[in-house]
Amino acid sequence: MIRALLLLYFAWQIASPQAAEHMQAGITADKERKFDVAVAEYKKATELDPSFVDGFISLGQAYMESGDYGAAIPALKHALELSADSAPAHQLLGYALLSQGYASEAIPHLRHSPDKSALGIAQIQTGQLPEAVANLQASLAAHPNDPDLLYYLGRASGLLAKQSVDTLLAAFPDSPRAHQAMAENYYVLRRMQDAEKEYHDALKLRPGLPEAHLALGEVYAGAFQWPQAEEQFRLQVKLQPGNAEAAYRLGDALLEQGKAHEARAELVRADKLLPDMPETLYALGKAASLEGDSAAAEKVWTKLLSIEQQSSLAAQAHFGLAGIYRKQGKPAAAKREMEEFEKLQNNSAQPQPAAQPDSQH
Amino acid sequence: MNLFFRGCCVLTLALLAAAPAGPMFEVKLPRGLDFTLQNSPTPQKYLIETMPGGVALLDYNNDGLLDIFLVNGGHVTNPMQLPENFDRHDPKYWNRLYRQNKDGSFTDVTEQAGLSKAGDGNYGMGVAVGDYDNDGYPDLYVTSYGKNILYHNNGDGTFTDVTAKAGVAGGGWSVSAGFFDYDNDGKLDLFVTRYMEWDTKHSKNCGGNYHTYCPPEEFPATTNILYHNNGDGTFTDVSQHSGITAKKGRALGVAFADYDGDGYTDIFVANDGMQQYLFHNNGDGTFKEVSLEAGTALSQDGRRLSGMGVVFQDYDNDGRPDVIVTELPREIYGVYHNDGDGTFTYRSLETGLGLLSSGSSGWGVGLEDFDNDGWKDLFVAQGHVLDNVEQIDPSLHYLEPPLLAMNRNGRFERADSGDTTPWAARGAAFGDLNNDGRQDVVMTTLGGAPQIFFNRGGKQHWLTIALRGTRSNRDGFGARVQVNGQTRFATSAGSYLSASDKRLHFGLGTADKAKVEINWPSGIHQTLNDVHADQFLEVREPEKP
Repeated sequence: MIRALLLLYFAWQIASPQAAEHMQAGITADKERKFDVAVAEYKKATELDPSFVDGFISLGQAYMESGDYGAAIPALKHALELSADSAPAHQLLGYALLSQGYASEAIPHLRHSPDKSALGIAQIQTGQLPEAVANLQASLAAHPNDPDLLYYLGRASGLLAKQSVDTLLAAFPDSPRAHQAMAENYYVLRRMQDAEKEYHDALKLRPGLPEAHLALGEVYAGAFQWPQAEEQFRLQVKLQPGNAEAAYRLGDALLEQGKAHEARAELVRADKLLPDMPETLYALGKAASLEGDSAAAEKVWTKLLSIEQQSSLAAQAHFGLAGIYRKQGKPAAAKREMEEFEKLQNNSAQPQPAAQPDSQH
Repeated sequence: MNLFFRGCCVLTLALLAAAPAGPMFEVKLPRGLDFTLQNSPTPQKYLIETMPGGVALLDYNNDGLLDIFLVNGGHVTNPMQLPENFDRHDPKYWNRLYRQNKDGSFTDVTEQAGLSKAGDGNYGMGVAVGDYDNDGYPDLYVTSYGKNILYHNNGDGTFTDVTAKAGVAGGGWSVSAGFFDYDNDGKLDLFVTRYMEWDTKHSKNCGGNYHTYCPPEEFPATTNILYHNNGDGTFTDVSQHSGITAKKGRALGVAFADYDGDGYTDIFVANDGMQQYLFHNNGDGTFKEVSLEAGTALSQDGRRLSGMGVVFQDYDNDGRPDVIVTELPREIYGVYHNDGDGTFTYRSLETGLGLLSSGSSGWGVGLEDFDNDGWKDLFVAQGHVLDNVEQIDPSLHYLEPPLLAMNRNGRFERADSGDTTPWAARGAAFGDLNNDGRQDVVMTTLGGAPQIFFNRGGKQHWLTIALRGTRSNRDGFGARVQVNGQTRFATSAGSYLSASDKRLHFGLGTADKAKVEINWPSGIHQTLNDVHADQFLEVREPEKP
């Protein structure tokens, strides 16, 4: 990363012949990853020519590449004293300071870099969360699926959300939204009884609070209290008949209670509201199967498999189809579906690839 | 009277009579029953600590009263010293036999019966009961982490350890076991489940900061054992020849029934954290594992299950044995309905059992007609495997009250068992302890006394049948007995680690007479008409077809 940046920005200034000689020796050692040698050569170059800006930048870079970020800082600061506008010096100093925990001090230097990822990370540490989110999103657009950026964006967003909730709780502790936020926290902590109480408090203060019945239903579902979950999902459906998730959740709660016919009706409605959601299709097939309607189950599970081929829902659909074909006296089709099911099961049982090593920021 | 109207009245009266006014059971500890299950939990969280213990209901002295045998764990040190020694010579850690007295109290007869020596290297698990030598007295097979012991009932109130001669010591970690006659030769064979390749030396730390008992996937699967009864007091290990070892598993429960009506008893094995096994008896001394084809391997969604206890009886009165497997929370207890074509359909949701079990952990299980209405109800001993599960997930519980679910035409509904106390329950055995025509329950609890559930349920008619095989094995295990449209498969096995009363109990509802049909393992079909209700009936197998 550092090397790439320097290649982009580095413009070797003319220095004294002796200094230039050591500079060249430093570059050669750098390329060979002999960082101790590079540091010694750059040091000599800067001693021979104390105004040699690029020599100090290279010295700072070599320190950083050898892992000694603390030693890089004075060299890079000196480079900036000689040339206050040197973008590579700013950027490297920003990285070095950030790596040593001096996020506030790093930020002005990191602003000189066109890559905003390190700036975003520094801004998380200084609590400039909206700016951090914006910078990390911009950086992620340039480097999609970068695991580090994904992690830091998630962290910044989470902290931003927490900040917002903290403000809500401090300013309006008895508001319906405060109770709702507390309930969500308890739900994440799996403190279901506390979550339930907070949702009820929120709904008492503001009946019809958006999403509250849906969330309370999920609390009950998480505690296996399906009749209560059904009741809450019904209330959400009544408030928002166009909410596909509410319809799906209600269908699922009914299914868990063995009320296949009612579940099916609700799941059909969910599928109409938001067509071809794999979860809805799977549950719809299950409800049809419970009702003995193998043809309908086969149809929706086949449709699901045209949308998803690799997920756990796909595996479940294959398993369900195998059961249908077995009952229909189609052993070859059943065997084929079981093979697909087992293939997906084996895939999911295999160890995940090792995490990418941290890239240097 | 209009026939339709009359029918309605009969139905209404039947339902009124069926509905118990209060709790189904009275929970009380009879005098003399002073057992404590010593599972010896340690900070090491050795897996064996959370798995015992079994209970058997048997009439060991043939006095007509059920006696109780309880399997104890043992002393576990922290950490376990090698060689492993569980101090079973200490009376605190003995297995115990309690003889029932005529007044309903019990007397500890362990020592005089010769059952005090459980072997210091054995941490006790379960028990199987069967008359393997057809001498009319029930014998005991006790499973352990370590070596198993076969106690021959001498018929004079004492038992003799005949393990070495019989050749059934097993080894490793044995769990549930059961006697059955797989080759219909009239002699009871023995099936022993084994959990996994595990020992205290190779125990692991699991659960990160929470430090929990390890999940089964942490340890290699192992084989079960099938012993063939040679008829001379010895057994032959036929595990390999029979095909049983072809499938390694992590077995905890076992139950027997002839699911496809071919006259040979099949085996269902409840495995933990993997697919369940259904061993189809080929009738030639071999078995084929068919659970995937038969639809009993996984959940409806194709998920692996934590099978622990199992019952293999007919819950919907269609004459075919179904399977109910108890499991961990979020898996819901599995109901596999026998469709009569060699396959099963998963019906946990339709039967209502899914709703009753989604947050529970089940172990010992029985399908018994507790209210004598003609439908077999469900009792499950419950409690999570992890003693700190609340720290990990507050919606789950280590201690749970048992589940009693009444069977209403094939759909289960929660009922008041009379016990709201939460337990870490494990084993459960079923039988009529006080011979009042109502099925009682004995449930074991970790670190505690057994809980005895005396049935105070409905006052409807009943019939209890004791089979006496002549050509078939003397216990009649494997017989298919039908009474007024209900079916039971004769066995003492099933549940978890436990053995139930071998007598077959039927609720008759309002009927005061019954038609009894028995298909003996020998192939003999026997019919008894106009049998009076409310009696204990011994049926002897005809010598000739």
